[in-house]
Amino acid sequence: MSARDTILAAVRAARLSTGDRTDVALPDFQLESRTRETSGDQVARFATAARETAVDVVECTRAELSSWVKHRFPDVRRVVSTTRDVPGTVADQGGPASFADVDLFVCEADFGVAENGAAWLTASRLGERAALFLATDVLVVLSRRAIVGDLHAAYDRIELSSEAFGIFVAGPSKTADIEQSLVIGAHGPKGMTLALVE
Amino acid sequence: MERVGRVDHAAAAARFTADAPRTTWHDATLWFAREKRDRAAAMVPEWETLRERASTIKEHTLSRLDEYLERFEAKALANGAHVHWARDAQEHNRIVHDIFQSRGVKRVVKSKSMLTEECGLNPYLEQRGIEVVDTDLGERIMQLRREAPSHIVAPAIHLKKEEIGETFHEHLGTPAGMSDPATLAGVARTHLRERFLAAEGAITGANFVVAETGSIVVCTNEGNADLGTSLARVQVASVGIEKVIPRLADLAVFLRLLARSATGQAMTVYTSHVQGSRNGQELHIVLVDNGRTVQLGREDFWRSLKCIRCGACMNTCPVYRRSGGHSYGTTVPGPIGAVLAPGIDLDRYAALPFASTLCGSCTAVCPVKIDLDAQLYRWRQRVVEGGMTTLTKSAAVKVTAQVLSRPRVMWTLGAFARAVLNVLPSGMARLASGAWGRARQLPPAPRQSFHAWYESHRRNTAPREGEGEGEGDA
Amino acid sequence: MNRSSSAARIALFAPCFVDQFYPNVAIAALEVLERLGVAVDVPLGAACCGQPAANAGFERDGAAALRSVADAFARYERIIVLSGSCATHIRAHADDVGGAGERVAERTTELCAFLHDEIGVAAVAQLGTRFPHRVGIHIGCHALRGLGLASPSELLEPRFNKIRALLETVQGISFAALARPDECCGFGGTFAVGEPAVSSRMGRDRLADYAQGGAEVLVSTDMSCLMHLGGLAAAAHARYAPPTLHVAEVLAGRSP
Repeated sequence: MSARDTILAAVRAARLSTGDRTDVALPDFQLESRTRETSGDQVARFATAARETAVDVVECTRAELSSWVKHRFPDVRRVVSTTRDVPGTVADQGGPASFADVDLFVCEADFGVAENGAAWLTASRLGERAALFLATDVLVVLSRRAIVGDLHAAYDRIELSSEAFGIFVAGPSKTADIEQSLVIGAHGPKGMTLALVE
Repeated sequence: MERVGRVDHAAAAARFTADAPRTTWHDATLWFAREKRDRAAAMVPEWETLRERASTIKEHTLSRLDEYLERFEAKALANGAHVHWARDAQEHNRIVHDIFQSRGVKRVVKSKSMLTEECGLNPYLEQRGIEVVDTDLGERIMQLRREAPSHIVAPAIHLKKEEIGETFHEHLGTPAGMSDPATLAGVARTHLRERFLAAEGAITGANFVVAETGSIVVCTNEGNADLGTSLARVQVASVGIEKVIPRLADLAVFLRLLARSATGQAMTVYTSHVQGSRNGQELHIVLVDNGRTVQLGREDFWRSLKCIRCGACMNTCPVYRRSGGHSYGTTVPGPIGAVLAPGIDLDRYAALPFASTLCGSCTAVCPVKIDLDAQLYRWRQRVVEGGMTTLTKSAAVKVTAQVLSRPRVMWTLGAFARAVLNVLPSGMARLASGAWGRARQLPPAPRQSFHAWYESHRRNTAPREGEGEGEGDA
Repeated sequence: MNRSSSAARIALFAPCFVDQFYPNVAIAALEVLERLGVAVDVPLGAACCGQPAANAGFERDGAAALRSVADAFARYERIIVLSGSCATHIRAHADDVGGAGERVAERTTELCAFLHDEIGVAAVAQLGTRFPHRVGIHIGCHALRGLGLASPSELLEPRFNKIRALLETVQGISFAALARPDECCGFGGTFAVGEPAVSSRMGRDRLADYAQGGAEVLVSTDMSCLMHLGGLAAAAHARYAPPTLHVAEVLAGRSP
């Protein structure tokens, strides 16, 4: 018997041997938390949660983004951008490792989650996934209207059937592995900015 | 950490607590983690509902695990991933090695996976000429020190920054005495960046795998899992079969509980969902049993498989905080370790269910409501049934139990014991009571037991049937 | 056998170590119940609930003790146990020992739970007790998480504490604030003997918390915890060695 068959048979035998285990039904879960929150409140809650993860949250218009980036990151040389609102300085050249010295990676998020300040990014938005983790700084562009309350609402929207990759990002990389002392900027990006646009 | 013979938690704990200031520090550090969890949970009004829901989803899934595993496999294959099955640790290691060897992979980076630790994957690969670098900072520190992690979420939580500084000085060439966490983390970043860029293979674990979509879900704060998998051409995900959950929607429940329980964060920095591989890259998923189906068949213990490896039980356990993860001698320590390990080797880990006061704090923090304290109690019965207690302990308990079930015997002996205690000097009485007495002074022995008092003050004085002479003082 | 009033439907159970080492606790409990108009019986024939043996892994040996408890209390409607851990054990395991076990399991409660839930705080206040001391309430883990005498700090639920509610009726009383409201004292029965290092360390840490809270007296539903804490302080000739009392003794107006 293959390992697969052995394991599946063992699982079935285990189920039978603990016979009177309740056949627990899978719950259909709808949580309506904070239904009375206005969209303005929700955006504010999102921004607060994102700031708690050491994200720099700024509000501007798409038109202002490009000049804002120049002002905020005056010294960056290598900028990779997957959004039209911000021009990149390098195009996709080689394999993932070629993004090793990217100073700033700019991309657009599908939506943000108010309860934890996370932004949802997909492969089609990211282009080369490695850039998100190799860049020293990350700028995520997010529409103010694309914020949901919690993860239940988030997963209602997430569609993975055509995406090889999707990720929630809640802040720049961090570690507290040395005496529980929080260090911002672990192996991934050292900083993250979130631009809330229209 | 000793891995041979029986684990003697009490002896290891005695050594740990002998350093009182260090125990204070370790206890405070872990308690701080518990407090962060409390604050984060308090931000979720429906927290207890979520726990109940998570428990139900897991119990449902485990009761039909074969169906969900098959569903997951079908989806993963359709996504273009390779799916392998491993009955035990050896088979898992062989499979992973074969994958790398056949693709010419010599350098591998690995993000946190307790399963690969459980299987002893690193030494297996290293002995066969494949370099494995643990990229989680805590795990990298432990790897350099050639020690096992002491906590499943914070592997180096038992180390002070000066000790980590020494490790970096010895292995990474940093200046002696460097101990600032941010500086040390910066050194690790540079050191590991080289490894990420040079790696041909990446190993991850999986926090969850989703049957509905064939997704592998990995949560990190450092970004090390994604750095590995986005750069390497061969990705291997080692997954315990109990990690499967039915639907994407179920992820919401678990993710809302996981980081809050583990570190007090609303969410980990990165929560990646991988479905298949990108261009030019291969994804291999290894589904591992290694004793899980045996545990699944145990009516008293199968619920331990609900575990989502958050570590909250360790943070809250007053015994773990004062004895450290290494004292358990297992890959996964603490309360959950004490209910998983005896299932693997009851003899070797017979002491672990007794490394507890059965206070129940672990059960109360567990996000998936595993009945940890009830399982610890049941494992104790198994240990005794299996004849694994010492003969003296067994005899002592049996005699005590016999006495305690016979009131008159106990009252007579009790009267005798109390009389003796009143006469002996305090120090001798303490010695006479053995281990209890070494640290504690006994209460002064009362002249009369309550029953004797009640007899003399509340009942008729006529003697009752069955009482002989000389029992009046009982 | 029992020639006292057979009209009482409520029994009082002073478990083995309370009977032997803390008879005054049981005397105080009896007094408090009777002053509240509750007639109780103290039947013979029950010494120990079997918890020490059961927790040590010798459930079958403990079952014999538990069976005699069940037999002794079979005919009562309520069994009030002077120990949170014993009450929890009886409620959790008596229905496995056959005979009257199932009935007894359901009807077993602990003193403070009984006073709070069935007599009521208002009636207890009528006792007019005075106890002008700062009290450190020690809630045993089984009383807490097994019997629901207070809300455990881990759970996100409305906060309540039945022991405190009862003690708040006492005049002059005040309460020590703790850094860790419900951490285990480290007794754990056989744990105290099997893991003495951690057990004593836990107890000393608990004492330190009461000390920083200014507790003059430690009060609990569980004399086993207090025996452990009191014993540690005394053996170490510690500066901080507060007297210990059962809740019943405070309600009966005993001096510390």
